[in-house]
Amino acid sequence: MTQKKLCRSTDWRRTIKNVYIYVVLVLIVVIFSVVKLDQVKLFGRGHFLSPDSITNLLRMAVPIMTVSGGFTLLMISEYIDLSVGSAMSLSAVVFSWLVLNGFSFIPAFLMTMVMGVLLGAINGFLVMKLRITPVIATLVTLNLYKGAALLIVPDGISGIKSTDIQQMPSWISDYARQKVLFGLPASFVVALVVIAILVVLQRKTLIGKYSAAIGGNRTAAELSGINVVKMVWLLYIIVGILAAMAGIARASYMSLGDPLSGDGMETDCIIAVLLGGTAFTGGEGSVAKTIIGALIIMCMTTGLMTVIDPYYQTFAKSVVLILAVTLNHLLVRQKVSA
Amino acid sequence: MMNGNSIQKTTRKGKMSNESFITLFMFVVLVALFCIACLFVPNFYMGQNILNLVTNYWYVIIIGIGVTFLLTTGNFDMSVGGVIAMTGVLSVYFCQSTDGSQPLAVGLGLPYGIAVVLALLCALCIGAINAFFIAKLRVASIIITLGTMSFARGIGQIVTLGAQRNTSLPEAYGVIGNAAIPGTSVKLSVLIMVLIVIIAVVIEKKTVFGRRTYLIGANSEAARLSGVKVTKHLTLLYLASALLAGVTGLLLASEYKAGISGRATGYEFDALVITLLGGTSISGGFGSVLGTVVGALILSVVTSSATGLLLSPDWQFTIKGVVTFLAILAQRFALDRRKG
Repeated sequence: MTQKKLCRSTDWRRTIKNVYIYVVLVLIVVIFSVVKLDQVKLFGRGHFLSPDSITNLLRMAVPIMTVSGGFTLLMISEYIDLSVGSAMSLSAVVFSWLVLNGFSFIPAFLMTMVMGVLLGAINGFLVMKLRITPVIATLVTLNLYKGAALLIVPDGISGIKSTDIQQMPSWISDYARQKVLFGLPASFVVALVVIAILVVLQRKTLIGKYSAAIGGNRTAAELSGINVVKMVWLLYIIVGILAAMAGIARASYMSLGDPLSGDGMETDCIIAVLLGGTAFTGGEGSVAKTIIGALIIMCMTTGLMTVIDPYYQTFAKSVVLILAVTLNHLLVRQKVSA
Repeated sequence: MMNGNSIQKTTRKGKMSNESFITLFMFVVLVALFCIACLFVPNFYMGQNILNLVTNYWYVIIIGIGVTFLLTTGNFDMSVGGVIAMTGVLSVYFCQSTDGSQPLAVGLGLPYGIAVVLALLCALCIGAINAFFIAKLRVASIIITLGTMSFARGIGQIVTLGAQRNTSLPEAYGVIGNAAIPGTSVKLSVLIMVLIVIIAVVIEKKTVFGRRTYLIGANSEAARLSGVKVTKHLTLLYLASALLAGVTGLLLASEYKAGISGRATGYEFDALVITLLGGTSISGGFGSVLGTVVGALILSVVTSSATGLLLSPDWQFTIKGVVTFLAILAQRFALDRRKG
């Protein structure tokens, strides 16, 4: 009799844990759709769920969608990368610099990706080979990459963009703006492909399993024959590549390379991952749910912009972050004790 | 990495604790950097410049003390920058006069003294929020404090509509921030910093509270089982850290006679950097206020050299990153060698 009761209570908690994130997403969408119904028609112009608005939201969501999946894998293995924002900014700057100086799309794209590999490899080196705490190591690289991005941009202008001497070619914005599929740009399609690959990686391949093993108990994983150093290094490189792709998408969207464009990306990623149910202590997590978390953040960001003034944003986002973290913490704790 | 030779610890050279050793080591690093700077940067050794080096970072040192104590217990406090901005903005808002045409020029019209106290209370509230989530609910401190940082800064942004408030202030407002020892450029803020440092060092080295801080950091379960009220202790530390940040915010706002919502951006990272430079270990159980002060001086020397060499301010981030990195490596190296 007691056993049956236990099973039921665990199932109930587990169901909540799996479902609450979809509930939150639906709730947010509903709230933002309803809030201005007296002023705009449902699905009409200016409404939260109008085609234009949805397209816009998804276009702006490309960077976080690209990065947060890989970020999830890293956090599952109980490692963190606080430098993704700066890596993204640096990639945006480098990409736009390459384009401005005559490189065409594919070479510029590939070269920026190579740099992304490098940035991720540096992180991996600091954390795995020099065994510096991930928080400190990636704070260091955060400053380094940000500094590099700021240094590439000449003094006096805000970013790499058209000047009197050089013109930024107009095709740069095609990647992130030109409609390719259902009115969405190529960058979005790429993000979808990335997400699909990562979901498969996490669920079906050894990369996903090993990450969870490392996060669950690193020593045990090591003793079981998993090459932890190589594995986590690979994860950092993946995050670096994704940050580079996000930077390219952002640079393309804005038609300029802003060395501060990635600021705050790491916080957004962390919120997305935590909302998606991945525990801060690693060992379990889901790329798919993180993407839902990312969507929640994007809905909040764009939705809030229509409802409250911009300077309320920081405050609102911080409340969401604190609530998300606490909720995640409490849920995870319950699961462990059950 | 655990060192298994705990028995042989007693046979190491010298009787200095590890903390003192690291502080001394970083002090040597500081002197070395200073000498190198004197060689390359014109006029670096001038008296006025040395004075500037010591007084430049007074605000980071004050908040750094709170961060040091907390890091010694194994917890972060990244909210200090936001609290500085919030307290400054609120103190302005509270004592701005009530009549005025523009929304940013109208405040609550409270007397200066009350405004100040109220603003500090608000800072303490942030500390309380931190304490609740971290000490009571035991949520990860780095995320919560990043959240409360945005929370506090967000409040500052809301009150200033994203900009700043600097009009219709009472006469008394600019006094404490700009007061100085007559004849020198040493400000009251610097004296307050020195006072706080002295108090902090005494607490750290001579009181039970200080010892308990180390114990919590080394092994919080053992501390709890030994009767240390860990939750209460951490709550006090977070309140103290918020208070320090609040005082800093008041001093800065008074100095510039403005409550700016963007103030102190990044100060929390600077505070963390100088704490780490000073030898405090990120996993807790190991830390030193004097080390943090030395760390601040190192950062001061490095950034002043950069300015003196006419490097653009954009170099600051890169330099900070490199310096932190080298310092961590150097500390690890020195400690490993010492343990033999």
